[in-house]
Amino acid sequence: MPSNRLPSLASRITSVWYRHMLVYTRNLISNGLPPFMEPLIFLAGVGLGLGKYIATMDGLPYIQFLASGLLVTSAMYTSAFELSYGTFIRLEFDKVYDGMLAAPISVNNLLVGEILWAGTKGWFFSFAVLIIVSVFGVIPLSFSLLAPLVGFLTGILFGAISLLVTSFVKNINHFNFYFTGLLSPMFFFSGVVFPVKSLPELIQPVAWIMPLTHCVDLVRAFCTGQFHPVLWLNLIYILAVSLLTGHFAIRRLKKRLIQ
Amino acid sequence: MPPGSCNEPHLKMLDFLDGEMYFEISQQPEWTRMMKKRNVTDNPVISVRNLHKSYGSLKALDGLSFSVQPSSCFGFLGPNGAGKSTLMRILYGTAEREHGKDTAVNVFGFDPGSQSLDIKFLSGVVPQENNLDDELNVTQNLRVYSKLYGMKKNEAIERIGSLLEFFELSEKRKSKIKELSGGMKRRLVIARALLHEPRLLILDEPTTGLDPQVRHLIWDKIRHLQQEGLTVLLTTHYMEEAERLCDSLLIMDKGRKILEGKPRQLLKEHIENYVLEIYEEQVAAVLGSRKIPAGVRKDGPPDRPVFYSNRLAALKRMSKSMEGGGYHIRQSNLEDLFLKATGRELNAEQ
Repeated sequence: MPSNRLPSLASRITSVWYRHMLVYTRNLISNGLPPFMEPLIFLAGVGLGLGKYIATMDGLPYIQFLASGLLVTSAMYTSAFELSYGTFIRLEFDKVYDGMLAAPISVNNLLVGEILWAGTKGWFFSFAVLIIVSVFGVIPLSFSLLAPLVGFLTGILFGAISLLVTSFVKNINHFNFYFTGLLSPMFFFSGVVFPVKSLPELIQPVAWIMPLTHCVDLVRAFCTGQFHPVLWLNLIYILAVSLLTGHFAIRRLKKRLIQ
Repeated sequence: MPPGSCNEPHLKMLDFLDGEMYFEISQQPEWTRMMKKRNVTDNPVISVRNLHKSYGSLKALDGLSFSVQPSSCFGFLGPNGAGKSTLMRILYGTAEREHGKDTAVNVFGFDPGSQSLDIKFLSGVVPQENNLDDELNVTQNLRVYSKLYGMKKNEAIERIGSLLEFFELSEKRKSKIKELSGGMKRRLVIARALLHEPRLLILDEPTTGLDPQVRHLIWDKIRHLQQEGLTVLLTTHYMEEAERLCDSLLIMDKGRKILEGKPRQLLKEHIENYVLEIYEEQVAAVLGSRKIPAGVRKDGPPDRPVFYSNRLAALKRMSKSMEGGGYHIRQSNLEDLFLKATGRELNAEQ
């Protein structure tokens, strides 16, 4: 006889996470290998080519500067894909959510589970980058072992943002605007490729609004072991944007899931 | 809302008729057992009063009221767009009802507006569309739901094994969803809804689009579960399905209740006993020029009319004048009643 008590909140949220884990580990090689391949390609590209022209950036070896940024951009892209295209397919095409909502779980539980999964993927992707770049001695393993936690936060952050974007999207092709219009500029202007302070002063505030900038600052502190109090503000900004976008995303998607 | 306090006259009539039905079916032991069980707990599992729901200017549900007794099978018959699926969704909380002043919805004592989790925990839902997870195989699909229902791993594995066997899917336990036939998918969705041994099974058009073998298999399984005490809520447009499975029927159209009662009783009270159907246009033309005898009702399109009467002799007399056939006389069935109740014309949703 199954238990006659309603599953706890934690159990309801982790069931969603469990579903994604099953799907992800089902194709372990095609899902698990690329996160390790990407940093290899990056190292080859920078080490063999770009690195010869730019030796240092902002006081760090350029390869280390870029590699630390890569820890969070990989987390950003994977969580953004998961909760934009992925969510849209589960919502509109496969009707996975529709099925799950007939089980004892609320829209809140479901979408919080989705965001947690995005965080988990963020963690895994930055962990994969860290392993590869540390094997090649680019980032020493010390405080940097905690850096994938920033990957987790980045996953949560961009999971929540992507979920909000998804709540507005009626046609799956519209995600192109999100990736080209929002995420690509973030990749280039958030201090991943060059420091924000080298941007024209007028544009700098824009860079500070971009959520990724704060992830980059945090992760670079963990990778270099150089901490300063401003990092608390970075953390608060990440948490605040995650909560705010997550809240509105859930509120808007509820209207689409509950008729 | 207990059935006695219901202010709808036909329900009192049904209470009265209960005795007669009991007499009629008391020959069958499992039914008697069921009826006895029903007497023990006669609080309705579901009670709905004055339910309204609109989508823009479209009225999906327009003042619907009914109640469902435990261990019974309650069926909703209605054309597409009658509001059946909306009703099911409201009952387990994935659609919101409108707040009318005397609207009340109660499932196991819970209000789906605020306590849908409790309702969903006690219910199994088979939606109209097979929303299986294509990214997982058969067993994994069920494993995810066992987690959602808070089942322990060992218990879940055991239950999944026995359900797959019950629905004759054991050989497919590692198959991809895309490799399953329509009938297998449907059986898997029903198995999924039964994982946690629910007390209420909500079936939204369970056998639409399936072949007769699968349909009969599913009917068998549903009847089996019902005899074990499960309450079943069913929407369908298959009259045969309604006739075979349902203890009570509610015929609805445009969000309103048109008729409600036990299938045989509805037939007895609302439709003539016999039907004369005309197939050939020439025969129809001949009949069309004649006067319709007393006690016979004409329906259907002019080139293929249908005549209804309680007097078999009257219909036979009409058919005698026809040479070489082109007609058919039979007993009336639920489909005749359904067409009479909901009209022969199509609505915008069909």
